[in-house]
Amino acid sequence: MANNQEQPAGLREGIELPELKKTITQQNINLYAEASQDFNPVHIDEDFARKTPLGGTVAHGMLILAYVSQMMTKAFGQKWITGGKLNVRFKDPARPGDSLTLTGKVSKLENNDDQVIVRCSIKGINEKGNPVITGDAILTTSREAPG
Amino acid sequence: MNDQTEIDYSQIEAGYEFPPGNYKLDASTVSIFLKAVEDTSPLYQDTGLVPPMAVAASAMATLSRTISLPPGSIHISQELEFIDMVSLDDSLTSYARISRTQRRGKLHLLTVDIDVRNQHRKTVLTGKTSFILPLQDGGE
Repeated sequence: MANNQEQPAGLREGIELPELKKTITQQNINLYAEASQDFNPVHIDEDFARKTPLGGTVAHGMLILAYVSQMMTKAFGQKWITGGKLNVRFKDPARPGDSLTLTGKVSKLENNDDQVIVRCSIKGINEKGNPVITGDAILTTSREAPG
Repeated sequence: MNDQTEIDYSQIEAGYEFPPGNYKLDASTVSIFLKAVEDTSPLYQDTGLVPPMAVAASAMATLSRTISLPPGSIHISQELEFIDMVSLDDSLTSYARISRTQRRGKLHLLTVDIDVRNQHRKTVLTGKTSFILPLQDGGE
């Protein structure tokens, strides 16, 4: 533990965040392209993408990152969207049909006056166990409640 | 969204500032975003709040309209900080600046810092985006 001061209820180093499972479809990718206005053909044009080194369409990296943010929102609520920080690396591309599992673990709690800085390690893997995204998520919360 | 002239990434250096991009996120766009990522959080149901990742996605889209990234470009890493809430129809301005360029063999590493502000000029989101791009013909 970072120190002996009281921590928010239920929050301690080592606990795992509720995992999030997603199966990516081309429809998800197409909708994301429309919402983000990112129509790069490697995401939405199967004929084009098949001729690239990727060998087929892949999901936008930011779509996968949105899953991570969704997992953090489920764990920490509004505190996440008004103070959350993400630092991730994209590993293997995620493709239509991939089933992803997003997980997170509280790696460190740091007390800072009347607030607690929560550091989480996060990871997303596909059904083969290959990582598609890894990194850290950080938020600051009060001692009273994590979410 | 703005129509902006594309800039050739290979011609720009660290410190380059992109033209600011203005945008709003309406209910329809947010609804499509939530369907795309299958997010049913009550935080965004009839509250007028915009998911911060939708703000980030639009900031990235604004950037992609101003810089010409070649086929084979790979988004390798992303930092984001959500600073304040964004509501539907807030007027947002995305500022982007090249913070790092590096050539490694036939690859080009490009890092862009992003700062999104609302109509009150308050920063609501910041980010750092890194791409690896293949060097174009004529590159080192």
